[in-house]
Amino acid sequence: MATVDPAMSFVPRKRGRVLTYFRRHPTIVVGASLLAIMAAIAIAAPWLGTTDPQALAPRNRLKEPSALYWFGTDMLGRDVYSRVLYGARVSLMVGLSVAVLSTVLGLAIGLVSGYVRILDAIVMRIMDGLMSIPPVLLAIALMALTRASMENVILSITVSEIPRVSRLVRGVVLTLREQPFVEAAVATGTRLPAILLRHILPNTLAPLIVQATYICASAIITEAILSFIGAGTPPTIPSWGNIMAEGRALFQVAGYIILFPAIFLSITVLAVNLLGDGLRDALDPRLARRL
Amino acid sequence: MGFVAFFVFSLLYLTPGDPAAVIAGDQATVADIERIRERLGLDRPFLVQFGTWLWAVLHGDMGISIFTNLPVSEMIGQRIEPTVSLATVTIILAVSLAVPLGTLAAWRVGSWIDRLVMVIAVAGFSVPVFVVGYILIFAFALELEWLPVQGFTSPSEGFWPFLSHMIMPASALGLVYMALIARITRASVLEVLSQDYIRTARAKGLAEDKVLLGHALKNAAVPIVTIIGIGVALLIGGVVVTESVFAIPGLGRLTVDAILRRDYPIIQGVILLFSFVYVVLNLLIDISYTLLDPRIRY
Repeated sequence: MATVDPAMSFVPRKRGRVLTYFRRHPTIVVGASLLAIMAAIAIAAPWLGTTDPQALAPRNRLKEPSALYWFGTDMLGRDVYSRVLYGARVSLMVGLSVAVLSTVLGLAIGLVSGYVRILDAIVMRIMDGLMSIPPVLLAIALMALTRASMENVILSITVSEIPRVSRLVRGVVLTLREQPFVEAAVATGTRLPAILLRHILPNTLAPLIVQATYICASAIITEAILSFIGAGTPPTIPSWGNIMAEGRALFQVAGYIILFPAIFLSITVLAVNLLGDGLRDALDPRLARRL
Repeated sequence: MGFVAFFVFSLLYLTPGDPAAVIAGDQATVADIERIRERLGLDRPFLVQFGTWLWAVLHGDMGISIFTNLPVSEMIGQRIEPTVSLATVTIILAVSLAVPLGTLAAWRVGSWIDRLVMVIAVAGFSVPVFVVGYILIFAFALELEWLPVQGFTSPSEGFWPFLSHMIMPASALGLVYMALIARITRASVLEVLSQDYIRTARAKGLAEDKVLLGHALKNAAVPIVTIIGIGVALLIGGVVVTESVFAIPGLGRLTVDAILRRDYPIIQGVILLFSFVYVVLNLLIDISYTLLDPRIRY
């Protein structure tokens, strides 16, 4: 692994390099393919033999999995297979949005507070405060404050993830600002925004991409937890968390309602985590050796 | 902690809807609402309200539940035992399994035990608490019928009934925590094992177990203890879910019920309590560094 130059391996120029790269990092391939399958399922949900996930059919209540209802039906006669497939949309959407939003915002906060010392003291105290509330609890609190909707779920989880990202970025920035190339840039009279964007930012990207995948995984779990306890995605949108919440009362008679979303949820999170581990090994060999 | 209190108070303050109007009911006139608002002190400025509230909280008064009209501190007091027991059993279980596993994995890098630990670590991060919970219920309660499905028994009613209700929730809750600790233990012991003094210890003929426990683990302790403290955040998030899955009448259930009923004083109280415990625990751990590593001084 140490022989792979991160910059070269991330933008492979030749076909041969791509293959070597994949052989060296099998977890990236496995994780990415599983994730790609999930994304395909989410996008193609309407064409995969699903019916309307909200369609009620009181006569077909609690049917066991069969040829007609692959994953069975729930207590309102809704098709669990369709609901689980549409649920993939919520999870992936939340995971991706939270990863992107919290990375971008955390990056901005971390860059500025790592470089502008006056702001640092104030901003980091606020982040310390936010970090002293366990993230799931913080997301629950924010959801309790607002109306249940997917946007609010995304925002709540984002807010609870930002402190960790900005801490990470700030740490990297603090070591970078002492580097000779930054000193040289300062000496030649480069302005502050240019230093941050041209010299500091590119060097924070590798750990940040790795962090973003872990955030994505934890956001998917948090969304499921929020929906499971009734503080997340509204019941009108099927998500893995609220399908399981609805199956909770019936799990002794109709365990399949919980089983299928649980399998999908675990596979998705596993895929994202594998991708994250692989990217960490590839992009950040120093960190890889430590963990 | 001051920030947390401020944040939690703002949470209640920013809540949509006027509490005075809710309390007064549908028949109330504008004057009635105004009177109630005055009585509750809601007409005073934000910072004055915050000061009054903070003073009350510091005296153990966290307000009154909107739904049951009982003091929040009393409701928390009734529910605290199951949660504290669950958390304690989980921490003991996870630490007593994860630290030896992580150490063994580091001792025999690349062996089957190392791979097993890494698989547990990745799986532990990927399978959410409630999924593990339901798998355990299916296997050990419904199929094998070894353990009771759900519920909670106080330790005062006998040790085995208590433990039999605790094993499954604690395992489900502890898996992520265990994965985290095992991973850090492995990494940290691995780093120490490459040090010169380990080679010296082996060269002077010290038994391998003494090298591992007395030299390696002791020097690797600081990061392990740190992660045990930080990981409690995972536990607190997990408790809310685990108690729902296993129908344990603890603080997690209280939180979930409060969310469903929008009972803000309770949500406020529980978050404040959990954050307080988390902060104090991590402070204690910071202090414990001086015991683990005499070089650290404050």
